[in-house]
Amino acid sequence: MTQVLQEKQRDTQRTSPRPDERRLRRIRTIPAVSTIVIAIGLATVAGPLYWMVTASFKTKTEVTALNPTMVPQDPTVDNYTGLITGSMPFTDFFLNSVVTSVVTAIGATFICALAGYSFSRGAYRLRSGFSLSILAVQMLPFAVLIGPLYLLMLKLHLLNTYTGLILGYTTFALPFGAWMMKGFIDSVPREIEEAARVDGYSRLGILFRVVLPLSLPGLSTTAVIIFINSWNNLLYPLTLVTDTEKLTLPPGLMQTFNGQFQFDWGGMMAATTVTSLPLVIAFFAVQKYMVRGMTAGALGGT
Amino acid sequence: MTSITLRGIEKTFGAETALRSCDLVISDREFLVLVGPSGSGKTTLLRIISGLEQATNGEIYFGDRLVNDIDVGDRDIAMVFQNYGLYPHMSVYNNMAFGLRRRKIPKQDIDRKVNEAAQMLGIGALLHRKPRQLSGGQRQRVALGRAIVRDPAVFLLDEPLSNLDAHLRTQMRSEILKVHRTVTATAVYVTHDQVEALTMGDRIAVMSDGVIQQVDTPEALYDRPVNRFVAGFIGTPPMGFLPGAVRRQPGTTKVTGEGLHVCLPSDLAGALPAGTSEVVVGVRPEALRLVADSFTEDESESWLQGIVDVIEPLGSEKHVLLTSAGVGLVAKLPRTSQVDVGQKITLAIEPTGGLHVFDADTGVALRPEDRR
Repeated sequence: MTQVLQEKQRDTQRTSPRPDERRLRRIRTIPAVSTIVIAIGLATVAGPLYWMVTASFKTKTEVTALNPTMVPQDPTVDNYTGLITGSMPFTDFFLNSVVTSVVTAIGATFICALAGYSFSRGAYRLRSGFSLSILAVQMLPFAVLIGPLYLLMLKLHLLNTYTGLILGYTTFALPFGAWMMKGFIDSVPREIEEAARVDGYSRLGILFRVVLPLSLPGLSTTAVIIFINSWNNLLYPLTLVTDTEKLTLPPGLMQTFNGQFQFDWGGMMAATTVTSLPLVIAFFAVQKYMVRGMTAGALGGT
Repeated sequence: MTSITLRGIEKTFGAETALRSCDLVISDREFLVLVGPSGSGKTTLLRIISGLEQATNGEIYFGDRLVNDIDVGDRDIAMVFQNYGLYPHMSVYNNMAFGLRRRKIPKQDIDRKVNEAAQMLGIGALLHRKPRQLSGGQRQRVALGRAIVRDPAVFLLDEPLSNLDAHLRTQMRSEILKVHRTVTATAVYVTHDQVEALTMGDRIAVMSDGVIQQVDTPEALYDRPVNRFVAGFIGTPPMGFLPGAVRRQPGTTKVTGEGLHVCLPSDLAGALPAGTSEVVVGVRPEALRLVADSFTEDESESWLQGIVDVIEPLGSEKHVLLTSAGVGLVAKLPRTSQVDVGQKITLAIEPTGGLHVFDADTGVALRPEDRR
């Protein structure tokens, strides 16, 4: 968008040898305005993050000082070591989060891939009915599902277990994940699949050897988004888990820092920084994939 | 030995009819071209032969085996797609070997076949590249290679050259024919380009509106089209069509209209059903010759008159686009012909070969039996 705009400006400047002064000034102010707007937006989003990271390296006195400092005056890693040595079971939280989120991301993505393929290419009567009802279920608010889900897990004796949490996360991830995979699989040209049919491959053979390898960017994007959603999920573990050491990071941090660690701002910032790190890594992993056009070269026109 | 027999093939997509009762017999090792404008059903027919699409009605035989219910992968066919349909995540080598691996062919045989095909198509040096690193012509060769390594009984090509530039297209045309001679498969080739059809096909099936209009050799299609559609579709520049009234006089039958005077040769005149009063005369551009206006004074000559709209010099000759009685047509004239835009010209019609008569309502060619 901006590039197009800039090119247009260059064109205007080139084609009009004696440009109107006022118009020229207006053209020049557009990039300046957009820069300012972007800067404000960035500061709003990144400001708190910056505060979180810097505060996690401040000493107990500095973090609560009346005159806040932009840069830690006396940088320390005590807050981080405190996470491991302290009384709060931070490592348990972390491990619980990693296990449940990673297993959900892998399992749910696999199911989403199968469902997405079916929605994209299946030729059966209920296809649009299925896909639309899945979309409709996704419209239901989070909180509505919590009660029934709790009762289900109670009856199945899955409260306070990884399995219960993973099932819960998966139910939440499936609707949108299946639709997302449908979108990615839609973009795999049918001709490639037909070529594989002519080559003698079955539906599943085509799915695993042609469609999914070509949907790798989609698969990883879906997996990472499911991972991020599971990692950030506060309500499900809060409801389905009652033992403190079985909690994941979001409810864990909320409960512990609201209680005995109430005033340990440094520790809390260190914990939230560590909690954010996997998300940042996950994001950059997807970003790299999204850029790569895997299907380039498959068809004549591209 | 794989001949292909289609009996009463019909295909509907919902309420739309794509094919109506198509009958076609393709002999073993024949190169048959399906040609027609877009939407004529030629690709649908090809896809039904391949098995990618199911016919709503009708039977398909490969040899004497009914293949209606045999899956694509088991029909022993290979297909080249319009957009190549290469696997983008595989190297050229794997693209070609993919189908062979499915058939559990020993590794060294796969290696030999792929290398042979690559050699034949001149892509031996590209085997480790990915499709996106290839040019259009190279991709097309890989798609051909993928089809021939399978050594199929039936070779199906769906507008394989439409994405290539004109120069490459001419070159690939002869390469495809060369490949066809080597692999000795029965080939069905779909194209909308009648020049491609004429130059490549042993026989050509002309399609329009889901119906096979005529199946014949290129020469026969050109000389003896069965109806106005085939007559207008085959041949560049196309045949011109001029409506006229039939006037029967003792010893001669004429078709006349505004700026049109045709004395029908006796065989064509004899083919006119009794009582026909209106016909359409079809004139091949090369059957026209520039003459002086005084030519029209001779009652026994055939001629037409028109106003010149456009002159297209082609070096060796000129195409003159003119309007006669509100109808546009083309004359192929020698390069030395003196014509100007806006000029009214008289063109003599050579009555043999280049002259056709069609029923004014149905468009069916009116021909003596021996020319049919």
